[in-house]
This record gives sequence, C-alpha cells and structure tokens, in this order.
Amino acid sequence: MASIRDLKRQITSVRNQSRVFSALQTVSAVKFRKAEARVKKARPYADNVEEMMREVAAKSTSKTAMMVGRGEVRRVAIASLTSDRGLCGGFNSQVLRRTMRLREEKGRDALQVASGRKSVSFFRFRGVEIADEFTGHTDTPSYEDAREIGRKLTQLFEDEEADEVYLVFNRFESALTQRPVVKKLLPIADEGSDDWEDENNDRDRDDENRSDVPFEFVNSAEEILGKLVPRYVETMVWQALLEGSTGEHGARMAAMQSATDNANEIADTLTLQMNKARQAQITQELLEIVGGAEALASN
Amino acid sequence: MASGRQLFCRIITPERMVYDGEAEMVKVRIADGDIGVMADHQPIVSTVGIRDVQVVKEGDEREVFAVSDGFFKVSENLVQILVEEATSANDIDADAAENDVEEADRELSELSGGDDEEEAGRRREELQRRRSIGENMARVARRYGE
Repeated sequence: MASIRDLKRQITSVRNQSRVFSALQTVSAVKFRKAEARVKKARPYADNVEEMMREVAAKSTSKTAMMVGRGEVRRVAIASLTSDRGLCGGFNSQVLRRTMRLREEKGRDALQVASGRKSVSFFRFRGVEIADEFTGHTDTPSYEDAREIGRKLTQLFEDEEADEVYLVFNRFESALTQRPVVKKLLPIADEGSDDWEDENNDRDRDDENRSDVPFEFVNSAEEILGKLVPRYVETMVWQALLEGSTGEHGARMAAMQSATDNANEIADTLTLQMNKARQAQITQELLEIVGGAEALASN
Repeated sequence: MASGRQLFCRIITPERMVYDGEAEMVKVRIADGDIGVMADHQPIVSTVGIRDVQVVKEGDEREVFAVSDGFFKVSENLVQILVEEATSANDIDADAAENDVEEADRELSELSGGDDEEEAGRRREELQRRRSIGENMARVARRYGE
C-alpha cells in the first residue's frame, strides 16, 4: 500500500487537475453561448442566400459547369473543418474519420483542403497531401476566413482541378451532440446533393400556392448566378465554420465536465484510501503501545 | 400604394441582421442604376453595388447604410438586401475608413506582379475592392452621418 505521504501528494495533484478542468469548462461554456448566438444571428443570411440561389437557378436556362457539373468526375476536392485545439472529446476524430471514408469512396487522389490545426496534423501524419490549409481561426471564425476558404474551393473547381467539391464538418445539434456531415458544395444542382433536392421539391410545392409573379431580373439570371455561386459557397463554409466552432466549445464543455467529475471521483477514492491507511497506522501504533505496556506489566 | 400595404426592408449580412423593419421607400443602387422601391413593387432580383442604401421611413425620416456588394430582391412587399458588410452612416468611423483606403493604396503600389501573375491579380482585385468599400464608407459617413 502506498504511503500516506504519497497518497496526500496524489490527492493534491488530482484536486488541482480537477480545478483546471472545471475552469476550462467554465471558459468553454461562455464561449459556447457566444458561438451559439452567432450561429443564430448568421442564419437569416445563409437561408436567404440559399433561397435566392434556388430561385435564380430555377429561372436560369444556361447549364454552366458550376450548376450541372462536368459530366465526368475525374477528381474531387474535400474540405475538412476541425478545430485548432484539442481537449474536446471525439469532436475532431469523427470529422476526420468521415473524411477518410469519403476519400475511400471518391478516390484517394482527392484534393484535401484542411481547416484547423488538428486536421492539418492528422493528414500530415497519415501522409495525405494537403492542397491548402487554413488555421488559427476556428475558435471564433470571421466571415473573412470563410471567404478565403470558399474562394479557394471555387477556384479549385473553376481551374478544373476538381470536378466536385465536398465539405465535411460537424453539424451542431446540441452541446452534447455534433454530427459529422458531408455537404456537396459544387456543382450545385446534382442528384448527389440530397438535401438540395429535397428543399427544391418543397419549394415547388410552395410555389404552386403562391401568386405566380415571375421575378424581373435586372441583370440576367446568368450574370447574377455567376456572382451568386461563389457567394453561396462562401456562405455554406461560413455556416459550417460557425456551427463547427459552436460544436467545438460544446464538445469541450462536455469533455471537461466529465474530466472534472472523473478527477473528483479519483480524489474521493484516494482520500478514502488515505484515511484507511492513516487508520491502519493509528491502530498499529496503539497495538504497539498496548503490547509494550502488557509486556512491561507481565514483567 | 394603391392597396395601402406596408413595405418591409431587411438588410442582412453574414454576421447579423443590420436592419429589419418597416419602410416607406428603399433606395438602392442596383445593376442598371438607382432604384426606389415602394410598396407593391413588382418582384425583382438584381446585384447591388458598393454604395449606400437609404431606408425612408414615415415622416421622411431616413436611415442610410454603407453597403458592400451583394444581392437585392423584392418580393411580396419585402425588400431584401444581402451584403457582406453594411454599416449605418451614424456608426461609421470616417477616419478609420479613410485609413483603410490609404492602406489599400499603399499595398496596391507595393504589389509586385512578379512570380505568380494570377495570384497577384487576385490580390489586386481584393485590394481594389477593399479600397472602394473604404472610400464608400467614408463618403457615406461624411454625407449622411451625424
């Protein structure tokens, strides 16, 4: 059995750890609330860009590569969004696992774009070549960051480096659950992107009930689309970054919560052990005294 | 305003909703020039230039916003302006905006068309955009700000 001094030292260190975890949890909780508010505030923009995209696309007659694809898919580009920092449970690994599965499906020569230090180091370690990396923004992403990533992705498609562009990120559901999802960004109208199709169908039904006033396009639908598509990509990345950062803080909060609980439990067990050891020592000493006294008395 | 219906206006940026409320008229510069939208306007979609958006409210009270480029849509008495940046004229720091312009100018002059022609072109475009946004913000602030 460990000595009382050792146990005491262990307990102090575990208690200190517990305090650190608990502090981290508090910080994450604050960040989480802020990030959640940002996601909510950003939603109208993303929703409207998406809606406009649908409306304009429906009116456009041209079949550009951005809209309908190039027919043959030779290579795809995958952008994975993770966090910069760890200590957030399975948050990053589930995105990276999903990415690796997608790479298996779409061909191993897929261009990999990495956002967040965790994904950069993961791909380096796995020997996956990184086409472009973006780091240092995942804690509180700005639209500027989304624009850089979005622009890169649009560019990969435009330069015909990639014929399809996918985004893998953690969809934020609650502080405890984040689901890794794959979203196809480009080309836009395609059987592959199911959520797009679904919404499209909903839209059609809505339209029947609506007064059927056609939009007047001041500049042509094509011209608007030309500007709208890159903006759409940016917006989707933006939304994903925001959801990712909210999920990151939520996941860290949960991870730190269980780490705190765990540390407290260990501290309790150790305290119990220490008390037992102390009790044993006292008993031992008493026995020695009693034994000594008896030996003297019998003499 | 034959039907007497109320027009609403929303100015939305990626960060937040900058304006959401009633309006008598909304003045915007769209692709083919300035447009003033009143209630019961026909549905219309266009792009918006780096310019100002004026929301005229009841009693000729007006709010002016400096906006970056984006999109504009009117449908069912709702004017939606989707832009990356929108700032109320009263909230603009004109000096900071002018500093932005100067900085963009300086970076533009330092830009060398050396190694990567394409990258430099993109960078130049970006700087020019920043410059126009700064210039527009300063102009709007000086003209309409408090």
